[in-house]
Formats: sequence, C-alpha cells, structure tokens
Amino acid sequence: MKKLLAFALAGSMAATLFTGCSSAASQPESKGELNLFTWMGMFPDEVLKGFEEETGITVNYSNFDTDETMLQKLIQAEGGSYDLIIADDYIIQTAIEQGLVAELDKSKLSNLGNVNPIYQGQFFDPEDAYTVPYGAGVQTIVYDPNTVNVEINGYADLWDAALQDNLAIIGNYRVINGMALKVMGESYNTTDVATIQAAGEKLLELAPNIRLIKDENLQDDLLSGEVGAAVMYTSQVTLAKLANPDLKVVFPEEGIGLGIMAQFIPAKAPNADAAYQFIDYILQPEIAKQCFEHLGYYCTNQAADELIEEEYREFLTLPEGFSADATEMIAPISAEAEEAHVQVWTEFKNACGQ
Amino acid sequence: MKRKKIRPSHLFLALVLALMYLPILLLVIYSFNESKISSVWGGFSLKWYQQLLADEKMFEALANSILLGISSSVCAAIIGTLGAFGMSKVQSRANTAVEYLATLPIMIPEIILAMVFLAFFSLLGLPFGMTTLILGHTAFCIPYIFMLVKARLVGMDPSLTEAAKDLGASEVRVFFDITLPLITPAIASGMVLSFAMSFDDVLISLFVTGVNVNTLPILVYTQIKTGVTPEINALCTLMLAATLLLVLVSAWLGREKQHSIETKGE
Amino acid sequence: MNTRKKKQGYWLTLLPLYLFTIVFVGAPLVYVVVLSFLQRAETWGVTGQFTLQNYRQIFQPVYLQTFVDSLKLAFLSTALITLIGYPFGYFMAKLSPKGKKRMTLALMIPFWTNSLIRLYGWIIIFRANGPLDQLLIALRIVDQPLKLLYTYPAVVVGMVYALLQFMIFAVYSSAEKMDWSLVEAARDLGASPITAFFTVTLKQTLPGLLSGIILTFIPSMGLFFIADILGGNKVVLVGSLIQDQLVKAHNTPFAAALAVVLMLMTTLLIALYRKIAGGKELEGLV
Repeated sequence: MKKLLAFALAGSMAATLFTGCSSAASQPESKGELNLFTWMGMFPDEVLKGFEEETGITVNYSNFDTDETMLQKLIQAEGGSYDLIIADDYIIQTAIEQGLVAELDKSKLSNLGNVNPIYQGQFFDPEDAYTVPYGAGVQTIVYDPNTVNVEINGYADLWDAALQDNLAIIGNYRVINGMALKVMGESYNTTDVATIQAAGEKLLELAPNIRLIKDENLQDDLLSGEVGAAVMYTSQVTLAKLANPDLKVVFPEEGIGLGIMAQFIPAKAPNADAAYQFIDYILQPEIAKQCFEHLGYYCTNQAADELIEEEYREFLTLPEGFSADATEMIAPISAEAEEAHVQVWTEFKNACGQ
Repeated sequence: MKRKKIRPSHLFLALVLALMYLPILLLVIYSFNESKISSVWGGFSLKWYQQLLADEKMFEALANSILLGISSSVCAAIIGTLGAFGMSKVQSRANTAVEYLATLPIMIPEIILAMVFLAFFSLLGLPFGMTTLILGHTAFCIPYIFMLVKARLVGMDPSLTEAAKDLGASEVRVFFDITLPLITPAIASGMVLSFAMSFDDVLISLFVTGVNVNTLPILVYTQIKTGVTPEINALCTLMLAATLLLVLVSAWLGREKQHSIETKGE
Repeated sequence: MNTRKKKQGYWLTLLPLYLFTIVFVGAPLVYVVVLSFLQRAETWGVTGQFTLQNYRQIFQPVYLQTFVDSLKLAFLSTALITLIGYPFGYFMAKLSPKGKKRMTLALMIPFWTNSLIRLYGWIIIFRANGPLDQLLIALRIVDQPLKLLYTYPAVVVGMVYALLQFMIFAVYSSAEKMDWSLVEAARDLGASPITAFFTVTLKQTLPGLLSGIILTFIPSMGLFFIADILGGNKVVLVGSLIQDQLVKAHNTPFAAALAVVLMLMTTLLIALYRKIAGGKELEGLV
C-alpha cells in the first residue's frame, strides 16, 4: 500500500510538473470568507453582493447537482471545508445522523422569529436544533385547461385515458410512486413492501399516459404544448404560471406532499460565524422577499409574505385556509422498502417506453 | 492541379457535416430568443448576452474549463503516446493487462469513477481543486489518445525507421524525426477528442473539484433546482464565434507557409 | 548500441502509462469490485459484510431487461455510426491536405458547445410543430405533427450524433496512412472496385474501424443522459439504473455490481468481436 501511495504521489507530482499549474486548490482560510455549497442559482446576485458589501465577507459559491453528491463530499471533507449548505430535508436527516451538522447557536440569529412555523419542527429536525428552512416545495399538478378535456382535482384523475401520452412527470420516484400510494390512501413513507408493490401495479396503468420523465426545465414542455399536464417541482410551477397564467395549479385532494430545503452549518465549518451572519442576513424580510421571488419556491419567511409582489404571491405563499395537517413529507425509509421502490420505478419506466 | 469536379463523396461529406451543424445553428438562433423557454421562439432579444456579460462566474468557469481541457489532454497525450509507442516496441504480457486497464475509464459508468476518485483522492490526502481535476480528467482522456495512436502505429511501414537506424540515427532521433511526424495526426485527433470530453465532463468534475473551482458544465448542470437559462446558449454562441475567429486568423496567418508546403508536396 | 539498453529505453516510455493506469484505474477498479460484494447499510454507505446478494439481484427480470435494452440500443447506434462514420473517415482521408485540415476543424467545432445544449438543438428540431414537422407537412409527407420528441428514434439520432466523431477520427487516422498503391494494383489486376475494397482497403483500415467501434460501442452503453433528454427517460439503460441506485436509492454495492457486470459484458463482446473480425495483424489492439 505504501508503495502504491508513493506511486500515486509521484504520478500526481508528474502531472503537476507537466501542466505547471495547480495552484487554485487550497486557499488561505481568512475570517472574511463564506464557503457556500448548494445548487446553482439559489440566490439573486444582488443578495450575495449586498451581503458582501455589508459584511466585507467574500462568498465562495460552490455547487452540487444532487443531495447525494453533497453528502458524499461532506463525508469526505469530514464535515469541514464548507461553512453553509442548503440541501433537501431527507438528506439533512442523514447528515445529522452521521454527525456532520453543527447544532445552531440561536443567540446569533436575531431574525429567526420570522420563520413560518408550518415549515418548522419537521421530521428531519424535530427540535429545530440544526436547521433553518429556506425554500419549500409543495406537490401540485399543473395542466392546461385549453388542451386537457378532463377536470383534474387530484392524483386519481391523472389515470384518466383522456390524458394518453400527454403527461409529464419529474424523475423523483418517491414522489411519483407516492402518487399511486396516495391514490390508494396510503402514506408516502409506508415500509410495507407488499403495499409498495401494489402501488407499482397501479402505477403501471399510468404508463400509457406518460409522455416524458424529466427533472430539469420540465415547464418548457408544458409551455410549448408538448404535454398538457405535468407533475413538477415548485420552481417550475412558478415559471410555468408566470409565462402562462391560463394554466391551472391543483393541490391534489388525496393529500399534499411537502418538501423543504434547509440551511445548516457543517460540524467543522471553517467560518461558522460568517455562516450565522449570512443566515441572519437572508432572514430579513426585505432580503427574503428578493430571494423567494428569484427562487420561485414557497416562502418560509412569514414576515416576508406580505412584501412579496402581487404577481408572485399566488405561487410563493400558501393558499388561504391551507391546512398543515393535510401535508406529508417524504422521509427516509428502510433499505428494504427503498429497494422495492426502485424496482417499482424501473418497471414503470420500462412500461412507459413500450 | 485542382479539379473543380464535385464528387459524390464530397456531397456525402457535406451532407453529414450539415446535419452535424444543424442543432448548432438552432442553438445560435435560439440564443437570441426573447423567451426563457428553450424551445419556443418569443422574438429577437439580446438579453441573454447582457446577462451573460454581467456574469463574472461564468467567465471564470470558462477559463477553468479551458485550462483543465488543455492540461488534461496534454498530460494524456504524453502518457498515451509514449505508452502506445513503447508497446509497439516491447512485447510483454503485462502490456495486454495495462492496455485493458487503460481503456477501462471509458467502460466504467462515469458516476462510479467519480465516486471512486473522490474516495481515492481523499485517501491520498490530495487537496481538491485543479490538481485533482486534472488527474481525474487525464484518466479518461488517455484511452482516446492511446487507441488512436495505437491504430496508427499498427502496420506502419517499419522500413522507414530501420533505414534511419541503419544510417546511424539514435533511437531518440528516430522517434522525433520519423515516428512522431507520422503519428501526429492521430495524436491531434486524440487531443481534440480528449479536450472535448474534458470540456464537457460534469460528474467527475463535480466530485473531485474543490471549494471554489467551478467548470462550465458544473455551473450548467447544477442549475437543475432553479432551471437552466438560455444564458448558456449565448455563451456557446460566443465560444463558437471565438473559435471561428481563431481558425480564420490562423488560416490567414498560415496561408503563405501552407502554400509553400503544398506546392512542395505535389 | 546493445539491445538490452534499447529495450530499457522503450520500457521507460511505457513507465508513465503503467504507473498512471495502475494507480488511477487499477486501484479504483479493485475498489469497485470489492464494493460489489459488500452489503448496503440501512440509510447510507456500506457494512463490511460479504454478500452475493447484489449479483443475485441483477437476475431479476426487470434488471435483466435493462441490460438487454442497453445492448440493443448500443448495437443499433454502433451499426448506424459505422455506416455513416466509416465512409466519412475514408473519404476524408482522400481529401487534399488543406481539405483534411479544414475537415478536422469542422468536426472539432461542434465540440465547443456543451453537449446538453447541443441536444437542446435536437429538441427544437423534433418538437411537435417544430421545423422537422413543418418541413414534412409542407412536403406533404405527413399530414399532422409526428410527435417525434421523446421517442426511440429520437434517442437513436442523439446517440449517433454524440458519438459519430469518434468513429470518423478513428477511421480517418488509419485510412490516412493507407497505401493507396495497393488498391490501384488490385484494380490493375482486374479486381472490381468492390472486391478491391474488401480485399485491400477494408483490411488496411480495419484497425481504425475496430478502434472506432470500441470508442463508440462502449460509451453508448453508458450514455444514458441522451436517452433521458431525447427519449423522455422512458428507455431505461444500465447507465441510468446505476445512477438511480447510487443517487436515489443510495445502494452503492448494487450499483457497483451492475458496473462490474457491465464491464465484463463489454469486455466479452469486444473480445468476441476481435476474434471474429481480427486477423493476426490485429493482435494487441485493445
């Protein structure tokens, strides 16, 4: 093994010599930096610039494509390297279990009271000890009443033969398999393999209606008329509605799935103080308003709700009379149940291609 | 000397090339699209160019991508060419195994390679950043160079190098004066492919990059949550324009030289 | 100069490839193989326990089907790429030196655009009521939009488009050094153009064709994002299955096992191909 290491080092040194440049790797960790790690485009430029100007802290924005990539990298960095991460609820639970997340010092967050309690105390952080919510997603169905001849009120209507080859869905199998589970009156998080398989059978009947499965820019296909109805991410719903106000957004009657992207500070964040400053900065209602109008996810900052411009308000704030009891979040489940889900999903995709 | 007859073979080349450029043409046209929807025309606009020019991160990432592409294709060219050359000279059972291994990176799905590199580089304690990016990219660039050079070396007329050796040229001279010029087209093609693969790679880059080194594909593919904007169309268009300009300038500068070589060759 | 010293010199040229390959490919490969025999942990990572379960799981019909579908698509794409790319590379080698240079550049420039974005170009073409539909309707070949986007043919077009260059460059680099006098000699001896092609030309360009097939067939097994984008994710390939297992199901060992089987399968197919296509002169090529 030692020899192998020596070889490797020799190899990497040779590579460095060949190219003569490999400097950008590590930068000195000064107090004036914030290593922010999240998806691309989560904040408007003005907010990042405003923060840099107000505090003198430089924001280093690095990106990941999926939550899993983030966790892999955080594990390898042993909870260091990054100061503030924004990711999805379920992965944060795993990160907390792995001891990679620092407990929050709430005394450093003067604006914490602005957070909408609907989004707090959820499964991934029941005591709100580690996270502050950022954007929230609500599972809805969007369709174009001009081209779809049936009225859609819930997931069950998606099975209607009138939608043949006319439905687009995202590629998140817990959400999509979950539609079948919801139609059957089950929980998203059932761990009963037989139930999941039954949902799989149900899902196979949906296959003829599926035109495409896609994660990025799904709203484009709805807007260009490639499909008439879609189950997609909240930011896509917002973009679609802004471009075409005729579209109908349905909160499914079977129950509503909720997802939360939350901010957390890694256990060994090199500049934790900068992270606190940033969290607190974007918790200010005026700043939060800018963030959510840019992001297109539901606003988790109730103090910002009333500031949000009229044209966005419908998509960024929950509807009148929205009951938190009707929502359910998708939580991690047992490995066995997860496996059943993947198998159901693979069979479903195969059936869609037939 | 030139015949201006159009041959069917030229028609074929032109047709395939035209098909290859069709999507690119659409990409250029749609970079002037007012609408944010990538496939619907919403009128002419320069707004994506304005947005792009204000975006420093995009240009920083572009510079990183170019640096990375050049570095890794150069590293791969040196390692791959020397390796293919050596294997044509030395018969060894180990060669077969190493050849197999060397081409594996294009057999293993990229995501697996990416995860393994992440684990492996942390094990070695390498700082994540440009160095690790170059190492990772070199690994999957080698097969392209190696295979193309190898295909060219197979069955190459050995009498040339033998003649040179008979005349007393050293092994090193023979390599640089005879073999290298003959395999240059293969190395060049290999480097072009390598550069393209590196320039386009997202998964390995995502996993082995450090805190503040972004490449272009990383910026594009991590917009999934918020939506990919036509800004990238504008960037691609600008890059195409820059390439074309570069090509034209170098063609113009090299005109005289090229001419003399061609007349000599005929 | 003695032979031993010469040999040593050649070994020296091999050293970088040997070192790099063993460290950065060999070691990771061992890691993947080891992973494939481990048991997954409940939520994340693996336990140290040995198991064959991951390989057993591959034999479930749904996963076997995925392998069959991937192979089908890879064969189809490679065949089409060969049909287009081989003559292209061959004709390209017959161009004037200037023409060759220009053609190389022309082939290279499309690479300067992001592959995702290039695929968007095809999305525009295939879109319902898009340019292709309008053309076909104007030509009265069809009378209503074809809905070509998110279908199998769209995927095949995307695969051919993404990998064609590899075949072209491989064939070209071997056709370029071809000895054309042999073709002429065969023709002088009365061989028809077709016979001359099969007895002389094909034989001489075989190494390039072979590299081309390998450079296209292997990636086509893994290039699932084309199937995702142009096929609407409805054609499940081994590549996307591995991605799903890793990224969505957190089942690293099963993904590793799938990758090992995929590698074994491609290796086997290529060995088989070499055996059928290869004469003695091909020995040592991959």
